[in-house]
Amino acid sequence: MGEDHQIETDVAIIGGGTAGLNSAMAAAEKGLKVLVAEKANIERSGAIAGGIDHFHAYLETGEDWDTREAYLGWVSKISKGASSLKVQEAVYCDEYKAAIERVERIGIALRNPKTGDFYRTLALGMPGPYAINFNGKKLKPKMAEEVRRLGCKVLGRLQVTRLLLHDGEIAGFTGFDMRTGDFYQVRAKAVVIATGNTNRMFKPQTGNPFNLWYCPADTGDLHRAAYEAGVELANMEYIRMTIVPKGFSAPGFNAFLGMGSHLINSLEERYLEHHHPMGEAAPRNFVVWATYNELKEGRGPIYMDCRHLSQKDREHLFETLGYDKDTLPDFFVKKGYNLEGTMIEMTVSEPMQARPSEVCGSGIKIDEKCASNVPGLYAAGDSSDQMGCLHMCVAGGYAAGKQAAEFALKTKNFRPVDSAETATEKDRIFRPLGKKTGISSWEFEDIVRIITTDHFGPVKTEISLKSALDKLNKLDDAHGDLKADNLHELMRVHEAMNIQQVAKITATAAMARKETRFPPYHYRADFPETDDDQYCGLIVIKKGPEGDITTRFEPLTYEI
Amino acid sequence: MPPVIDPDKCNLCGVCDEHCPLDVIYMENEGVDVRYPLECWHCGACRQDCPTGAVDIEFPLIMLGV
Ligand SMILES: Cc1cc2nc3c(=O)[nH]c(=O)nc-3n(C[C@H](O)[C@H](O)[C@H](O)COP(=O)(O)OP(=O)(O)OC[C@H]3O[C@@H](n4cnc5c(N)ncnc54)[C@H](O)[C@@H]3O)c2cc1C
Ligand code: SF4
Ligand code: SF4
Repeated sequence: MGEDHQIETDVAIIGGGTAGLNSAMAAAEKGLKVLVAEKANIERSGAIAGGIDHFHAYLETGEDWDTREAYLGWVSKISKGASSLKVQEAVYCDEYKAAIERVERIGIALRNPKTGDFYRTLALGMPGPYAINFNGKKLKPKMAEEVRRLGCKVLGRLQVTRLLLHDGEIAGFTGFDMRTGDFYQVRAKAVVIATGNTNRMFKPQTGNPFNLWYCPADTGDLHRAAYEAGVELANMEYIRMTIVPKGFSAPGFNAFLGMGSHLINSLEERYLEHHHPMGEAAPRNFVVWATYNELKEGRGPIYMDCRHLSQKDREHLFETLGYDKDTLPDFFVKKGYNLEGTMIEMTVSEPMQARPSEVCGSGIKIDEKCASNVPGLYAAGDSSDQMGCLHMCVAGGYAAGKQAAEFALKTKNFRPVDSAETATEKDRIFRPLGKKTGISSWEFEDIVRIITTDHFGPVKTEISLKSALDKLNKLDDAHGDLKADNLHELMRVHEAMNIQQVAKITATAAMARKETRFPPYHYRADFPETDDDQYCGLIVIKKGPEGDITTRFEPLTYEI
Repeated sequence: MPPVIDPDKCNLCGVCDEHCPLDVIYMENEGVDVRYPLECWHCGACRQDCPTGAVDIEFPLIMLGV
């Protein structure tokens, strides 16, 4: 164990990923003292550590699909029952122009420097080409540079473990440095949570839980901590999946489709046409659902058919795939695929706990001000219930930072923290280090993954969910046996416990939604139809007075 | 196992350690220690940011073989 640190700051951001860095910029621009507490290092961390390739936006060019209304219509269509249009308008529509300007100002070109035009493509059920394609390999380090230029304090390799409240309002949080073993108690007038979604929760395709589509460092740490602190969560029942190359869970299937490749089964049929009226342009969940069923019914393997693409298109594709996943082109070359006509074997990715659409999130329930139910506590990005994808994390991250700054400006004094609570948490954090024998984080996590995958990864029923909850609850007894031989393992032990706790929340939320929505993201085999009369809205989760997980339903309406 | 460091090219700057989002790489006095190769996400940050081109990404057989 190392030293103890006590820090005070006006606004603290937990998680310096895409959304968190934009929150930090907004709060710092208001002249406040800002701290970013980040598990890795803000230059390269989270979902876009290695790069990114598209930004969704309507641009009001005069086309009928390129308007605020048409965009909100798309949101209503692909995210009905999960996105609140009121929040969408406040965190995205009112912010997106400034977001695009900010990205360009810090040095990332979103448009062609010669023509000044955006290169826009269509995918995932869009009414028009909303996806601005660009080379985002340097977006994360450029955002980090801006955050440092604005004078924010950054603490890296700091894993945040617990939120501290006083009289129901945010007072601060605790964490530890995974390199030094130092313990931190941070007090802040306002806090923004921006720690991404929950990964490593289901069995991955090659057995290695770090070979994932999304960032394996995002493990629901603050979903668990927020829940423990009485914060409401929503959209937690959803399990997200996509189509990835066989062997490597990397994104990019929409880039293939955008370039004119086709998904085919082993009968060489373009099977999407049998499953959805929009075929390959269908919303992501339907592409996944169709592929899942093709494989299950024995028509796999499935392939991305690139045989008909021109040499120029193939070269463009191989280059741009590397914007989103830097090492994917290397993988294809090493696997023996070349630029000559080729069929690339694909599969359905591991499930993860995350948002059911491109335009909402899964986690801390926020209102139009990005505020949670705990005064002073805000959320942004994938860890909120309403934001997801680059466009919302950049625009909405900034909105959350502005709101947190306003709250901090109105707050005179730091709220006190309970030193006994901090001491108990410190003891809990470091306990696994003292154990000579016990269970490793890897083994514990494997058990969680077997339970989740068997019982709700992704198809589920009342009985499968109850059984999962039984097993996941029993695993609590093993917490005291978890051991860590060093600080790196200590971090993994805490992640493993957090993944388990989020899995319980997910199963409980899924039990409450007795219908199917966005299959396979929430597919109930015992309730296979979508029931808009009863379930068009959010399942809201909160810790009950007895420590039990409680749920309530909050309807959402769609006029567009 | 990913990533593989060429000690002849490495100038011991430590950037790959600092920038790894998964805490895989540890900078030691004698050189770079890729301590947790199984926990690599293949994000390529270490390779992109290495000033001397000393980082190569290799894929384990299970990823290429299936
Ligand atoms: C490879 C890839 C490509 C993508 N491509 C696109 C695209 O082209 N277009 C698009 O719109 N979307 C894309 N997405 C989705 C998009 O990138 C994400 O929705 C978005 O970046 C999420 O931002 P975030 O800030 O919510 O989470 P992240 O950027 O993941 O940030 C979360 C941060 O929290 C930190 N953290 C986690 N736990 C703790 C803790 N306990 N204490 C302290 N810090 C913690 C993490 O280290 C991380 O830095 C892609 C995602 C991936 C994974
Ligand atoms: S970034 Fe490159 S040069 Fe620097 S320590 Fe790592 S391998 Fe060596
Ligand atoms: S590829 Fe990414 S995760 Fe792997 S060692 Fe390099 S920086 Fe770390």
